[in-house]
Amino acid sequence: MHDRLDISMRANHVFFGILVIVALVFAAFACFSGDVFYLRLATEALILGGLALSIDILLGFTGLLSLGQALYFGIGAYVSALVLREEPSFWLAMGAAGVSVLLAGIAGGLIANRVRGVYFALITFGMAQVVAKVVYNSRELGASDGLIGIPVIEIPLGLITLSADDPLGFFLLTLVIIALLYSMSAYLLGTPFGRIIIALKANEKRVPYLGYSTWAARMAAYVLAAVIAGLAGALYPMLRGFVSPELLFFATSGDALIMVIVGGAGTLAGAIWGAVILTMLKSVIGSWTEHHLIVIGLIFMSAILFMPKGIVGMLKPFVERNLLRNSARQPKPEPERTAL
Amino acid sequence: MPDLISYLQFVLAPQMLNGLALGVSVILVALGLTIIFGLLDVINMSHGEFYAVGAFGALALSALGFNYWVLIALVPILMIPIGVLTERFLIRRVYDGGDRHVSTLLLTFGLGMIAEDLLKIVFGPNTHRPENPLPGAMEVLGVFIPTYRLFLIAIGAVVIVAVALVVYRTRLGAMVRAAAFDRNMAASLGVRVGWVYSGAFAFGVALAGLAGVLLAPIYSVFPTMGHDFILMAFTVVIVGGMGSIWGAVIAGVLLTQVQAISSLVISPVWADPIVFGVMVLVLMFRPQGIFGRIGHA
Amino acid sequence: MTDIMHVEGLCIAFGGLKAVDGVSFTAERNKITTVIGPNGAGKTTLFNLISGALKPSGGRVIIKGKDVTGKGPAALQEAGLARSFQITNLFFEMTVRENLRLAAQRLEPVRQALLPLRRHGRAADKVTALIERFGFAEKAHEIVAALSHGEQRRLEIAMCLASEPQVLMLDEPTQGMSHGDTEDTAQLIRSLTDEVTILLIEHDIGLVMSLSDHVVVMHQGRKLAEGIPAEVRADSAVQAAYFGHG
Repeated sequence: MHDRLDISMRANHVFFGILVIVALVFAAFACFSGDVFYLRLATEALILGGLALSIDILLGFTGLLSLGQALYFGIGAYVSALVLREEPSFWLAMGAAGVSVLLAGIAGGLIANRVRGVYFALITFGMAQVVAKVVYNSRELGASDGLIGIPVIEIPLGLITLSADDPLGFFLLTLVIIALLYSMSAYLLGTPFGRIIIALKANEKRVPYLGYSTWAARMAAYVLAAVIAGLAGALYPMLRGFVSPELLFFATSGDALIMVIVGGAGTLAGAIWGAVILTMLKSVIGSWTEHHLIVIGLIFMSAILFMPKGIVGMLKPFVERNLLRNSARQPKPEPERTAL
Repeated sequence: MPDLISYLQFVLAPQMLNGLALGVSVILVALGLTIIFGLLDVINMSHGEFYAVGAFGALALSALGFNYWVLIALVPILMIPIGVLTERFLIRRVYDGGDRHVSTLLLTFGLGMIAEDLLKIVFGPNTHRPENPLPGAMEVLGVFIPTYRLFLIAIGAVVIVAVALVVYRTRLGAMVRAAAFDRNMAASLGVRVGWVYSGAFAFGVALAGLAGVLLAPIYSVFPTMGHDFILMAFTVVIVGGMGSIWGAVIAGVLLTQVQAISSLVISPVWADPIVFGVMVLVLMFRPQGIFGRIGHA
Repeated sequence: MTDIMHVEGLCIAFGGLKAVDGVSFTAERNKITTVIGPNGAGKTTLFNLISGALKPSGGRVIIKGKDVTGKGPAALQEAGLARSFQITNLFFEMTVRENLRLAAQRLEPVRQALLPLRRHGRAADKVTALIERFGFAEKAHEIVAALSHGEQRRLEIAMCLASEPQVLMLDEPTQGMSHGDTEDTAQLIRSLTDEVTILLIEHDIGLVMSLSDHVVVMHQGRKLAEGIPAEVRADSAVQAAYFGHG
């Protein structure tokens, strides 16, 4: 059954595919030139892209604006850091982070999903701020300095073993992980479960009459988003070697939100593109001036005023038209399909 | 028994009065927020930055030689045109889009970022401490309280009462409430709705600026000062009820008292988590706040 | 049992106003029962009480022998009820096909919700069948917001049927329709009685008389009269309510 939403999702895949190709080309260049800095920067961009992806699932598909997704990103990062300091095992860290954010997401969802709209945004904001302050003031978690001294780990992947220290290798691993998170999200959004999530954004009042509990659907979307943010966050200490309370503060959530808007909400791929673009911009602007907030703020405001669909959002119709033309050309057995 | 009285006299009462001084300022900021939300249905995420602009404005103008007492009136007045321009050219553009709450929230969030960086560029990232125009302390009923804070409470109360009177007792206030209630109806009755909206937004940010001027001598002035303050203001607005003036007043007093008294017994670092915890609880169990109407969100 | 839905003493009050005051009636299997009454009689409120949009303060709703009083819309859907809305309540930004798919995917077992929808499963076939039957073949990929009002009302009915309910509640299905559309819809509704039991709210008296097997008249929250159309038309209390000072 190919309806317009399927075509829309396939268009997203095109943009994500382009991103992957660009990433691989970049990796090849970096490999030849022996670069370390840009590879690490790009890896960080992808990790933040994971956070942005989680925001897009909620904002672009479920219709929920979460201003505190960095909470789960930060929890994933801290849990990963804590595990790695004891036992430098990649899989253990990822697993522990995943389980922690799953539980945290359920707890957070039970609190946040009692309300909608603006109140939901404010309550997620509040939750992130509270936990951020608690972490900031906890000596066991390193207080304002955070946890440092995360060891460089060896990542066993069956046939090969990567070192987190290897910029190219870790970049490629992050790319694979983000691609997996993207694929999982895209897949789920195409299932009946995913369609209900999308229906929540389209007309939440009607959803109970379809036979579903809106609360259950929202909880599921929320927990899914939390897990994605957390798994992305778990990679952070492996890359940077430390974690700090900044990861939980609103600045992180806000940055990721900007990535989603600039890249294009509701496109999944836009979130990752937005992360790449924003990280690049910050790095470039940061080398000229200290005041990158103004530039980012201006870009963000311009996006909302003039380009609310974001970059991918604006380009998608062209891709969708092409996809429609291609699928119309092929003969289909279903009699009710008309050429469009 | 005498110990209890000394405790009340020398610890609790001063702390409560200090809390009240802070509370009055928080109410002024929260009033601005709640008026903007109640009238325009806009979440102004840059409200904290307007508060900071007020404080920095006072700093800059006093360096130019203006007397502090003049600044209390001058700074808010200067902020009115800024508010009008913001509403007219930014907020109004996204106002009629699909997701008004989300787009105005995001737009003002971006604006706040820019404002914060602008302040850093113009004034530098450091902390400033303007002179206290009323140094010293007074004794009121046996309790010692810094004179300036007493002044703050007095003038804050006057402004708050004035705002309430204007909104509820004057024709201007009636027009504004009509425009908030039903925009089209008010327009057809001859109310200049566009001006009402700009005016209401400008009034809201002017109140925030006033709070900035008033608090500058007590708390320091630095570019990110808006951030922490806005969280408290949002909490007050939510607990009191978005769009409710009395809610903001009552919640403002309550919450700052809770913060003031609780910091006597527990470490102040936990003050913020407690305040947010209150906000989260209110949002969970009574999202419309004490006096709010849930229809608005 | 020939009665599939039984409503007993339903009540709800808003403030001091008793919007629905002790209404009882029975909807017989495979028959069309129509609720009529002047504006403000409480018809849509009654529908809201039965379909789970509102919780009654008293009374019972029994469907297929099960007490479903006060349960939410999702549970009522489970119990075999489907309801359309007086003010069109579709997914306007989605296509006809996507709307129907959302309504039909209920037919697949819940444990398959995380698997892609089967291309030729019950739900997919149902969508195809509904598109055929309701004449949406040309417009299956159109956004609902672009459809005409009459087409949107038709889609409302189609959405209800997607979940294969036993009881179909239609709230003013012909509201705002042209004469031709109204005729077609009436025929459609009549043709549905083989599969479902229908509870209808209607204002068009001609339609009520020709379609209904049983009529329930409401007035100021109470049941004023009930019976076959001819009986009700002749009832003097009903006439007074409609044409008199009521």
